[in-house]
Amino acid sequence: MNYQTKIAPTWCPGCGNFGILAALKQALIAKNLKPHEFTLVYDVGCSSNMADFVYSYGFHGLHGRTLPVAAGIKLANHHLPVIAIIGDGGCFGEGLSHFISLARGNHDILVIAHDNYLYSLTTGQMSPTTKKGTVTPSTPFGSVEEPFNQIGTAVLNHATFVARGFAGDIPNLTSLITKGLNHRGYAFLDVLQPCTTYNKDMTFDWYKKHIYQLDKNYDPTNKKLAIEKSLETDKLATGVFYQVDKPTYHQQVLNNNQPLANKDISSINIKDLL
Amino acid sequence: MTTSFNFNISGSAGEGIKKAGLIFLKTCFKQGFYVHGYTEYPSLIRGGRNTFQVHASKEANLSPVLKLDFTIDLQNEGDLPLTKINQDAGGIPQTKNVAGLGIACFIFNLSLDTLNQTIAKTFSDKSKDVIDLNIKIATYGYSYAKKNLSAKALPKIETQKTEDKLYITGNEAISLGAIAGGLKLFVSYPMTPATSILHSLAAKAKKADLIVRHAEDEIGTINMAIGAGFAGVRSMVATSGGGFSLMTEGLGLSGITETPVVIVNSMRPGPASGMPTWSGQGDLQYMINSSQDEFLRIVMTPGDPEEAFKLSKLALNLAEKYQIPVIILLDKYLSESYFTVNKFKDLQQNTRYGFANPNKTKDKPFKRYQDQESGVSPRTIPGQPGGVHLCNSYEHDEFGYATEESEERIKQVEKRAKKTKYLLNDPNFITPILFGEKEADTTIISWGSNKGVILEALKTLNSVNFIHFPIVWPFPKKTFQKLTQNSKKLITLECNSTGQLNKIITQETGLEIKNQLLKYDGRPFFPSEIISKLL
Repeated sequence: MNYQTKIAPTWCPGCGNFGILAALKQALIAKNLKPHEFTLVYDVGCSSNMADFVYSYGFHGLHGRTLPVAAGIKLANHHLPVIAIIGDGGCFGEGLSHFISLARGNHDILVIAHDNYLYSLTTGQMSPTTKKGTVTPSTPFGSVEEPFNQIGTAVLNHATFVARGFAGDIPNLTSLITKGLNHRGYAFLDVLQPCTTYNKDMTFDWYKKHIYQLDKNYDPTNKKLAIEKSLETDKLATGVFYQVDKPTYHQQVLNNNQPLANKDISSINIKDLL
Repeated sequence: MTTSFNFNISGSAGEGIKKAGLIFLKTCFKQGFYVHGYTEYPSLIRGGRNTFQVHASKEANLSPVLKLDFTIDLQNEGDLPLTKINQDAGGIPQTKNVAGLGIACFIFNLSLDTLNQTIAKTFSDKSKDVIDLNIKIATYGYSYAKKNLSAKALPKIETQKTEDKLYITGNEAISLGAIAGGLKLFVSYPMTPATSILHSLAAKAKKADLIVRHAEDEIGTINMAIGAGFAGVRSMVATSGGGFSLMTEGLGLSGITETPVVIVNSMRPGPASGMPTWSGQGDLQYMINSSQDEFLRIVMTPGDPEEAFKLSKLALNLAEKYQIPVIILLDKYLSESYFTVNKFKDLQQNTRYGFANPNKTKDKPFKRYQDQESGVSPRTIPGQPGGVHLCNSYEHDEFGYATEESEERIKQVEKRAKKTKYLLNDPNFITPILFGEKEADTTIISWGSNKGVILEALKTLNSVNFIHFPIVWPFPKKTFQKLTQNSKKLITLECNSTGQLNKIITQETGLEIKNQLLKYDGRPFFPSEIISKLL
């Protein structure tokens, strides 16, 4: 399977996005999905410049607004896997209301948040996940806000699959993306990634020292445990924090299994609608 | 000979004014009247002052009138002791409105049986006791009036059956027209006066086989609708000016990605929260100019529910055909007033536009934004083999991949702009319509919901005709110039304070129209106001 366009990635050397793209492609290959058989929806940011590098149906939308686009595509044709590529700024900042609302509705999309703790495409300002006190161009005296807890927020707001991966561990990340693709319902995958240009503190080495994999005996159906795990800040767990099986949004609102996009509208009877 | 009457019922919010007004309207309609129902109410659930007035006539009428023939006021009873009448009849506070209806039924010489049948139908989800009580009170009110108010009674108006007619609000017509036009996804966030479109479509969703989602905010609604549009579904959103303001980046997204979407904006006076439950036409220039940079959008301005139905269906078709955003501009007056119109055809046909059938066996990038004579490039939808492309909010090349090259940018800007010419010549595009005599001393020019009021005024005025714009943008210059070439005195009429259509006419044609009638107090024009100014 070839998901390669003619355009070479424009990310900085050593950017975590390379690892995420590699893992994504491997997961798509593992699922044997042809380029026309799924849709990637991109936000705006370094992560989402991926739009030009992947050969598949794609929609490159507005900053922070990609999740409703993804959910709209899914409602139009629920047979299509829909994957949203978004950064921590778009997902937890500009677009937070969509992130939460679509999780609550269990819209059947896979949200891959490239989480580098910064706004990098706009040259490195703080993002919602930035640690309090961090000096950035928009916070020269240190950021004031406490960081956002994206894992906990997703679990609390009824996302049915919540996981965290690391861009520097492609085999495990591939496995998490595959699990997310296989999950029915709102799947949120937070991917820790270094920004080699603007985040000099959180390098690949820093991550390697600060992350660990969830224990084999960890129970991902235990909501309280998942929230407890999301509160850890000294060491960051990777793996599936939480997963439950619930009816998806489209399963609850569609009249039948025929995608909306395939409905015949050539002749519509409005007789009994008043 | 009198052929019409005008009734008003008022009271505080929570006293069942709208319910009573509707019962009266239905009673008149069932007896063969053309009815028009107009309601005023504050943005409150309790208190304030609500009114509902019914203009009923033997001949077609499309507007409220100012002069009232009889009123029922639940707040200020005056010489009609409604509270006492209701108590004497054995009523409870909630039945005072119905006592008033019984009285009005006698005054206007309507059938008490029809009133009681309408009451029974209106309360059909309530217990038999409730229905019986309301009928008892209405009947008592009728008898009271017969005994005490016979001097005030008006002569009976003979009417014909109106079986080919229905009464409907603008919002209901928009909903029905959208279903007729193949709407399959409607996403909305409640905002007066557009909210009843959400209610109406949500109630019909199962039967009409569509999805209706009440989303997190207006930004979510338009982005979701655009996502569905990209995937081949006809989609629509509805809001008022405040919500539209949140949607403007999405409007541009539809523009540059060339993804169809229909946006309904029902206007209320603003800016910001303004007067939520009142009417106005202050958003016309905003609809034409909103969002950064330049791209084609259609701005439709239906004048009544019949036109709203037609344009709602057309909006979905033209959005798909030209791959552009289409805005339908309503106002509170049209959205929430009741009009008597011809019944819509049961069977509604649609054509699909612009879907490509690429070679399914060859998997190569599809030129989604390939240059075309008409500016409209054939498109494919996700899942379709041979059609893989990127739909891009960044400026892009023919495949959809981002570009910042001068030549590519110019090519795409010009490709998108080419659509305007084809759209204006589209046989389904609705150009301005002339009502009244071909030649007249005065020609009124207007748009949107003023249509019915002006037509009503024309019945009285001599040598006045009227040009109505069902679509203001792109500006239908050719037809407009043809219609006005021999006009003597032109006058524009709008519900805003600066004369927005008047300015657009000057901008597009160079024609300066010095006379304008403007109203911006949150109320629609009444025919008498137009008549007095033009006589």
